[in-house]
Amino acid sequence: MVDEAAIEPFGDAAVLIRLGDRASPALAERAQAIAAQLARARDAAAGFGQAVPAGASVLVPFDPLVLGLDEAIGLAESAIAGAEVRRDERAEAPPIEIPVRYGGGDGPDLTNVAERHGLTPADVVEVHAGALYRVLFLGFAPGFAYLGGLPAEIATPRRTSPRERVPAGTVAIAGDQTAVYPRSMPGGWQLIGRTDVVLFDPDRPDPARFAPGDLVRFVPIRP
Amino acid sequence: MTGAPRLEVLDGGLLTTVQDAGRRDWSHVGVPESGAADRWSLAVSNLLVGNDPSDAVLEATLVGPTLAVLAPITVGLAGADLGARIRGGRRLAPGRSHRLVPGEVLEMPGGDGGERTAGCRAYLAVPGGIDVPLVLGSRSTCLAAAFGGLDGRPVQPGDRIDGRAATFLRPELVWPGDDGQGSTRRLRVLAGPDPAPAALDQILAREWRVAAASDRVGVRLDGEPLPADLGGDATTLGVPWGAIQLPADGHPIVLGADHQTTGGYAVVGVVISADFPVLGQLRPGQAVALVRTVRATALAALLEQRDALVAGAAALREAAGWGTLIDAAGG
Repeated sequence: MVDEAAIEPFGDAAVLIRLGDRASPALAERAQAIAAQLARARDAAAGFGQAVPAGASVLVPFDPLVLGLDEAIGLAESAIAGAEVRRDERAEAPPIEIPVRYGGGDGPDLTNVAERHGLTPADVVEVHAGALYRVLFLGFAPGFAYLGGLPAEIATPRRTSPRERVPAGTVAIAGDQTAVYPRSMPGGWQLIGRTDVVLFDPDRPDPARFAPGDLVRFVPIRP
Repeated sequence: MTGAPRLEVLDGGLLTTVQDAGRRDWSHVGVPESGAADRWSLAVSNLLVGNDPSDAVLEATLVGPTLAVLAPITVGLAGADLGARIRGGRRLAPGRSHRLVPGEVLEMPGGDGGERTAGCRAYLAVPGGIDVPLVLGSRSTCLAAAFGGLDGRPVQPGDRIDGRAATFLRPELVWPGDDGQGSTRRLRVLAGPDPAPAALDQILAREWRVAAASDRVGVRLDGEPLPADLGGDATTLGVPWGAIQLPADGHPIVLGADHQTTGGYAVVGVVISADFPVLGQLRPGQAVALVRTVRATALAALLEQRDALVAGAAALREAAGWGTLIDAAGG
């Protein structure tokens, strides 16, 4: 597990911790642990920003008028070392359940996804709702979580032409990932269903429903 | 918070939003930083009315808002000259504070844009900072998720704008320094983090213009595109303000204040923090030069900028006779 992590400057106000070349659930989990360690260190170190974990890296912003590059790299090194011995306690919480209306107007691409794999729409629902997903990281839009763990039998490339508007709460597939659109926006993913769960609410103390490392399960709403 | 509001929006202009020094604690859940695109001018407009340099202001874009004055108020103007004036009356120059009286109408019809260095964003500060709620630690408008500022949207006719101060009249002051823009449209760049020396060399060697599709999310560069194999999709990672992404279409994008927290394109370099005020003022159609620099220069430029703000704030305090300490270092 303790493979080489590379730390390099990312402009004059951040360093990047690279854990590997390609995103993976294992590297995402390690990135989350490092980001959590950095969040704990923030209280002690002035000039240190909110770390952004991704699928194989962690962005560590800092204020160059407060911290030198060497100090920022030192803090990143300590966080990497500290993360090896501490596990993120959130990861052990029970899965977040997301009720979904699959297909029809809520999931206009469900039939296409099924046909592509030689399955029925009901098969796709069973596979999608039968899997346990983990939040790899968030990005793209507030509350937008990239979920890893989509079974290969329903993995589907993006649509060739993106839709101008995907409604809020839409559950979608792209490649080997699945996600829920937190609000109405353009998007190129395959739309298979929709939930009424509010994924991002800036008025909540913790605005995003999903945090890096969370486990997620989709539960079909039977008509 | 002090009775009747002071300003009423008659026309919102092209894109006028409430912005402060940004929202930095929620990037791990995808919330963009937001905040003023030109933080230097944010600080100057605020200091001109005795505010903290990071207080919330109106950021106007190319064509600014039209505001009716309902009660006496002093406003601080900084950033681009968008032709601000009192309807049928005097000009309101940037880099100054101006006393406005009821019945006056402030307009910002837009600058002529003819000058090589004309900017695109003007900042209007009111005493105490604009009175909108803090959301996730900032008063900035998050356009991507429609929250913050005035209900997460640009200002529109009928909006009332007020400050959070107890009194609204200040001495009329002139910013003692320059406008933070330098004499050329130039962005200094640090290489990396992606090992793409060929791509960066070619970007630095070419002439670029600011594309019309540029916005607060990013400045898109028009010019002879780079070969597709130099850029394109990469492993998604967290990206900072100023990062230069190179999509497969060969046209670089320089990320701005509203940039997404993660990006999936190759990143070949990062504009230095001291040049963000220039980046935030780039006007569509303008030529922009990208030049390589080193970390020591980046830090020296940032220190120089900070010192200039501190010195300007001290001179304003002296001129106004303000006894209170205004900490300019946070700008």
